[in-house]
Order: sequence, then structure tokens, then C-alpha cells
Amino acid sequence: MRPIDRYRKSLKKGLAIGALALAAALPQAARAQDGPIIVVSGPLSWPFFAAVKQGFDDGAEAFGLDYQYVAVTETANMTSDYPRLLQQAISRNPKMLLVGNFFPDGMDPLIKEATAKGIPVLTHNSGQNLWQGNGSLGFVGEDPYQMGWKAGEIQAEAGVKLGLCFNQVPGNPTVEARCTGYVDAMEKAGAETIYQTIGTGDATNPQAMAQAISGTLRANAGIDGIYTLNAVPAMSALRAVEDNGRAGEVMIGTADLSNEVLMAIKDGKIAFAMDQQPYLQGFMSMQIANQYLNYGMHPIGAVTTGPLVIDATNVDRTLEVNKEHPGIRGAS
Amino acid sequence: MTAKLFRRPETGAVAAFLLTYIFFAVFTYSNGFVSWNGTVGWMNLAAELGLVAIPVALLMIAGEFDLSIGSTVGMASMVLAIGTSHFGAPIWPMIALALAAGVVVGLVNGIVVVRTGLPSFIVTLATNFIVIGGTMGVARLLTNVTSMSIATSPSARAVFAGRWEQANASIVWWLAAALIGTWVLGRTVFGNWIYATGGNLTAARGAGVPVERVKVLLFMATGFAAALVGIIQGIQWNSGNATYGMGYVFQAPIVVVIGGVLLGGGYGTVGGVVVATALFGVISTGIFYTGWSTDWIQLFLGALLGAAVLANSYVRKFAMSGGR
Repeated sequence: MRPIDRYRKSLKKGLAIGALALAAALPQAARAQDGPIIVVSGPLSWPFFAAVKQGFDDGAEAFGLDYQYVAVTETANMTSDYPRLLQQAISRNPKMLLVGNFFPDGMDPLIKEATAKGIPVLTHNSGQNLWQGNGSLGFVGEDPYQMGWKAGEIQAEAGVKLGLCFNQVPGNPTVEARCTGYVDAMEKAGAETIYQTIGTGDATNPQAMAQAISGTLRANAGIDGIYTLNAVPAMSALRAVEDNGRAGEVMIGTADLSNEVLMAIKDGKIAFAMDQQPYLQGFMSMQIANQYLNYGMHPIGAVTTGPLVIDATNVDRTLEVNKEHPGIRGAS
Repeated sequence: MTAKLFRRPETGAVAAFLLTYIFFAVFTYSNGFVSWNGTVGWMNLAAELGLVAIPVALLMIAGEFDLSIGSTVGMASMVLAIGTSHFGAPIWPMIALALAAGVVVGLVNGIVVVRTGLPSFIVTLATNFIVIGGTMGVARLLTNVTSMSIATSPSARAVFAGRWEQANASIVWWLAAALIGTWVLGRTVFGNWIYATGGNLTAARGAGVPVERVKVLLFMATGFAAALVGIIQGIQWNSGNATYGMGYVFQAPIVVVIGGVLLGGGYGTVGGVVVATALFGVISTGIFYTGWSTDWIQLFLGALLGAAVLANSYVRKFAMSGGR
């Protein structure tokens, strides 16, 4: 045996022992969740998630917790970006994971993986029907399908015969679920619906949305109800309705709010806006995290934060809050 | 005569516009697409894009790209919102500040591109992220939100968002930009410099053309135009939003290329770009007047872009061979 061979042999042995030791240490490391509290939530460019983060911030401050907020900055590839962000968060062994389950196809298996590893997970905003299946402690938020359903119910009750659901972000399952809920509720009530999308490049172009809705109103003169999925298209819908000389004949309702939408509700031009109270989604998640980490307690089941319907009866108070505390309502 | 016509850069765009317009006019005549209101409808859409596409065209003729226009639009609208709503400033000084901010973004783009020699495609893509990120960061820091109301004045509203029946002031701005762009490109020394810079940089430099200055000035022009569109959108909808204009990042180069400007630079006209922008407006709006599924809208645009590029390259080969 040449010295070099002996050296090689001992090196191999050493490597094998090292690998064994490492393998033994790994589960230990995974069990000790000494990482931070990580929140994986929506893009802060959306006023809605800015309010969610405000809730997380205020909650963290109230309970003296530290946490890290993780989100995409670029919304074009969210379907593939979010699973990647979640994977990175899990690999840091967080003390607790507070996740918006926006894209279940990619994210739900990862949440299962995290809970199997013993990381406590609480979901918020999206994935209301999935938390029991993936081992989460619970869910804080609101089902977009139910939100759309409620909008459909309100419009059907008001006598809308042909409702338009206008989706400015086609391909986002959460947002699409609102339209599905709206369509189902309207059809259950015997009304008809039209589902309309816009090219992805125009998702933030209010002028393009106004012209698209205008054209749709021309092509379907019978439309007497519109449901939009965000505050910006709601104002575009209002402009389109007025330009077509249909003011007062078309009932406009929207998901989410902005100051402009609230003013339009006050003036009777828009019928209702739906607040799923994003601030509460953040704050209550943080509260549950605090109580779970300290005392091992948590609410049983889903905590529902919406929809709180804002119409002529309660719009004044909402406007007041918006002036005093900008950002808390997810609009300003 | 025919050969001469074929040699014009805007021929392809004009032909495509006529075909598309006739198509939609036939299919949506009963829904009022060709009526006065239908016409100003698609013009309102085209005007905002066109206003930013014209300086982008000049820049692309000079051989450079600017993808930072998208976030500059949103930034300008947020400057107005934060200034007027949060700090209670009057609107006109804020308009000046927003325009200045747009020019600064262009200046930075221009200086980085000419100093480093890096491709402007990458530099301005980076700037696009930096500007929207910066806008959101500052807005959240100061006001806790990334979109907020704008407190405007009657005079500002009249100038930037006035309406004559349903036609927006932006249409006038667009036509003014088209006239200025055509004049600069076709009637001034600077216009010749633009062609020379994009056509053959080394030869232009050798002939004494200040190519760096040409590029930096054009970047500043695109920043200015993007800020102007942000001001128009912000005042029109009474609210600033950091995400306004994001669609223009690729829509502007698309209409510029359909309008007959060569990606490599050195060749193109403002007229062609104006027609291509109108075409974009007709397609984007007309499809909704048909009542058909709008899932196809992007396919339409993509096919049109491909056809336009093919036609343009054919036209150019034809022109180079002296029309034989």
C-alpha cells in the first residue's frame, strides 16, 4: 500500500464519518426553529397589501415581536416567484411562518413541507379552504369567492339583469375567484353575466380600462350592473358609464376601496365597495403568532375579516378614518 | 413612384392601420366604433401612449432604448399626490417638480449609458426598477400608502385633463408632440445628428457630431414626456399611483417598431410612429366593441408586431437595392 493510498483511504473514512455526523445533526438543526418570524405576503405596490403590512407592523410593535416581511417587487411572474420566496423562507427555519397562500398549486405543497418539519404556519388573505389540509394553525382573512358572491347577491337583489365582471388582472387565481363568485351568485338569482378581461399590459392603465369598459357597454347595451375587482378600474367603470350616457342606470360595485371610490359612494355614483379589512389580516395574524409562541394558544378555525360592505350608510366614517389614519383602510 | 412610396418607413404602419380600421369599422359599426365618441375613445387611449412613444422613437432612431419610462409615469403622479395631499402644496409647482424629476431620471440614464458603454436596454431596465422601488419606498415612508388622492386646481385640470365633449386634452398634447418631433427630426441639424448617431456611430463621431450630447438630451426628453403622461393621468383620475405607466415599458417600443423605426437605429419617422400608436389604440379599444372574447387581444398584437417587423425589413431591403 502506497502512502498516497493510505491517505486516500483515511480521507474517505473521514469524509464518511463527517457525512454521518452531518446527517445526525441535520434533524436537530431543523427542529430548532431559531430563525425569525417570517411573513410571506403580497406586493407592497398594491395599496391593499400596504395596509396588510401596516397591520403586521402595528401588531409586531404592540406585542414586542421582530419579524421580516417578504414579497415580490415585480408582479409579472408571481405564480412562480411566490413558491420560490416561500421555499427560501422555509429554509431559514423560522420561529413561525405567516403566509398568504396566493398560488396554492406551487405554495400549498411547500406549506405542508414546513408544517411537517414542525414549523408553525398561519395562513392569511388567500387559501381559506386549504389551511386544514396543509397543517396550518388557522386562517385570517376572507374568501375571494365569498366576496364576489356577496357582490353578486347585492346586485341581483337590486334588480340587475345583466352584470359585467371586469377583471383587470387575468391569470391571477385569487382575483378570478371573485368573478367566479359574482357570476355564480348572479346566475343563482336568475340574472345573466358577462366576464371581461383586459390585456396584461393595461392592468394599471386607467384610460385603457375606461375605453375597454366603454366598448363593452356599447357591445352589450343591456348591461345594468358592473363589478370591478379594484378601486382603479372602479373609477374607470364610472367614467365609461357616464361617457355612454348611462349614469344612474348601471349599478357599479367594487372590491377594495380608495378615497375616490368612497367619494363616489358618498355622491351616490358608486353603489358599494367591499372592504376585506386588510389591516386586520396583518394585525390579527401577528396577535395569533404572539399568543401561540408564548402560550401555545390559537383561535380554532378561520378568522373572517370580510367583506365589510361600505355603502351610503357607513361611508362617512370610513372617509374620516382615511383622513386621520392614511393607509389603514388600504386606500387613501 | 411606387418604389419611392415603398421606401417610406411609415408605409407598413399606414397599410396596417387602414386594414385594421376597416376591419373594426365593418364589425363594430352598429356599436358606434366609428362614431365621434367611439373615435375620441380610442384616441384618448392612443394619446397617452403616443406622447411617450414619440421621444422613445427619436431615441431608438439614435440607437438607444429607454425602458424606465414606465416607472417614471407612476413617479410623476406620486410627486403630485404627495406634494398636494400630504404637504398641501399648490399643484403648479408640483407639476414643475414632477417634470424636473422625469428629466433627472433621463439625465442619469443618459450619463450612465454614454459613460459606461453598457447597453441601454439593461441600464434603463435597472432604472425602471430603481425608480418604482424608490417611489414606493419614499411614499410609504412619508404617507404610508403607494397611491393617494391629488388635490388639483381648475387651471391644471383644464390644461392636463380638460375635456371637450369626450375628447381629452391629451389628444392635443399628442398632436403637439408629433409636430415638434417631426420638425426636430426632419428640419433641424439636431435631427440629422439623431440619424447619424443611430446610423453609424463611429462615422458620426468622426464627422464631428456630438453623439454623447445627442443621446443624453434624448434620454432627458423621454423622461420629460413620461413625467408629462404621469401628470396627465394623475390629474385626470385625481389620484397618484406608483404603478401607472408600467404597461408602456413594452408598449412604447412595440408601436415604435410597428411605426417603421429600425431596432438597430438610424432609420424611421415620427409620422409612422403616430400612425402605429393610432393602430394600437384601434386594436386595444376596438376589440371590446366587438363583444368577442378579449383573451385574444395579446395574440393580435403579437402577430401584428411580427408582421410589421417582417414588412419593415422587406421594405428596407427593397429600398437598399434601389427599388429593383
